[in-house]
Amino acid sequence: MIMMNRIAKTSVLGNILKRGLATASATPRLKTFKIYRWNPDKPAEKPRLQSYEVDLNDCGPMVLDALLKIKNEQDATLTLRRSCREGICGSCAMNIGGRNTLACLCKIDQDNSKQLKIYPLPHMYIVKDLVPDLTGFYQQYKSIQPYLQRSKYPDDGKEVLQSIADRKKLDGLYECILCACCSTSCPSYWWNQEQYLGPAVLLQAYRWLVDSRDEAFSVRKSMLQNSMSLYRCHTIMNCTRTCPKGLNPGKAIAEIKKTLASN
Amino acid sequence: MFSKSLLRCSLNRAAFHSSSKRSLTIPFLSTLPQKPGGVTGTPNDAYVPPPPDKLHGSVHWDFERVLAVAMVPLVTLPLATGGSFMTVADSLLASVLLGHVYVGFQSCIIDYIPKRVYGKNFNYAMYLLTLGSLISAIGIYKLETEENGLVGVVTNLWTSKKEEEKQK
Repeated sequence: MIMMNRIAKTSVLGNILKRGLATASATPRLKTFKIYRWNPDKPAEKPRLQSYEVDLNDCGPMVLDALLKIKNEQDATLTLRRSCREGICGSCAMNIGGRNTLACLCKIDQDNSKQLKIYPLPHMYIVKDLVPDLTGFYQQYKSIQPYLQRSKYPDDGKEVLQSIADRKKLDGLYECILCACCSTSCPSYWWNQEQYLGPAVLLQAYRWLVDSRDEAFSVRKSMLQNSMSLYRCHTIMNCTRTCPKGLNPGKAIAEIKKTLASN
Repeated sequence: MFSKSLLRCSLNRAAFHSSSKRSLTIPFLSTLPQKPGGVTGTPNDAYVPPPPDKLHGSVHWDFERVLAVAMVPLVTLPLATGGSFMTVADSLLASVLLGHVYVGFQSCIIDYIPKRVYGKNFNYAMYLLTLGSLISAIGIYKLETEENGLVGVVTNLWTSKKEEEKQK
């Protein structure tokens, strides 16, 4: 009995010692984050990269955790958009380590010898630091009339019904959260974003084109019948590669081209 | 009140972009003034697409694809037959290639010298492309009637090399 007790005691003691080692005396793993800074209050000052060091032992796993830690503890002037912290609002879209993605879905590389560079979405006008001006992007989204259009609704005032097969056509399209990661990764959109709609908006255009409940089919198609809105897509496929939600805007654009081709 | 604050907002925005746009444009080509932030109207206005024009829309795209697909058999055939190639097929290859190249350069001009930014220069670039294509068409005609055709020119590249080696 005494023997058993002693074994139990030592194992508990050992555990406490081990756990103590794991938290208190572990060396801090400092990782350098280089973050794009630009202040509109001082427009003459050029944008710069500012370095921050974050202890990875005392930080959440995602890049957004690190950014918020920097903002809370080191520099309150660091400006970024974020809301849901779980990849459903699309606010925290930015260029992390050379790839457009959502900061809340992007894991920090645990190798603290490497530094991580964070820029705002590329080729956009910047409001401040990591906040891009998405006004044009939203204007384009509005232009495709992203709402149901039909002449008659059911008499019982309930929802417009749709077959299971027709509903399946919307899978992979309705999940888009309009974070603008794909559009701002597209070179065609960089050069002609005033006129080319870009992958995100075209994916939405296709979502309304294939919806069996929508009747504005011909209007939606004729809106794209010019050289700029749709046909600036040269199937570069950066959009599909970068989408943080794993969607395929490149395929949606190809489907639109197919629908228009036989028109 | 609202319009006043909007005006101030747009004025502020213009003041922010004090850095020059020179780094983003082609040197020696005049550009049109651009809207601040690339935004037309108020944030609540929808983007207005250009008027529908099938000739520059789906018809153009179909034409481009037909040319690209037609290139595949027209290029494989002379490769398979080893250079002896009918004049009709050869002239077909040359003209389809010319159309393919024309559409490709047209696309480059729309992308990199857009009318929105360069105005008249866009038209000049298009005229230059058309002129070049016409001269090429004359060249193709001469090549097919007076010489060995396009495939003949390409095969000459190999044979002339062999002759040079023999001379050595």
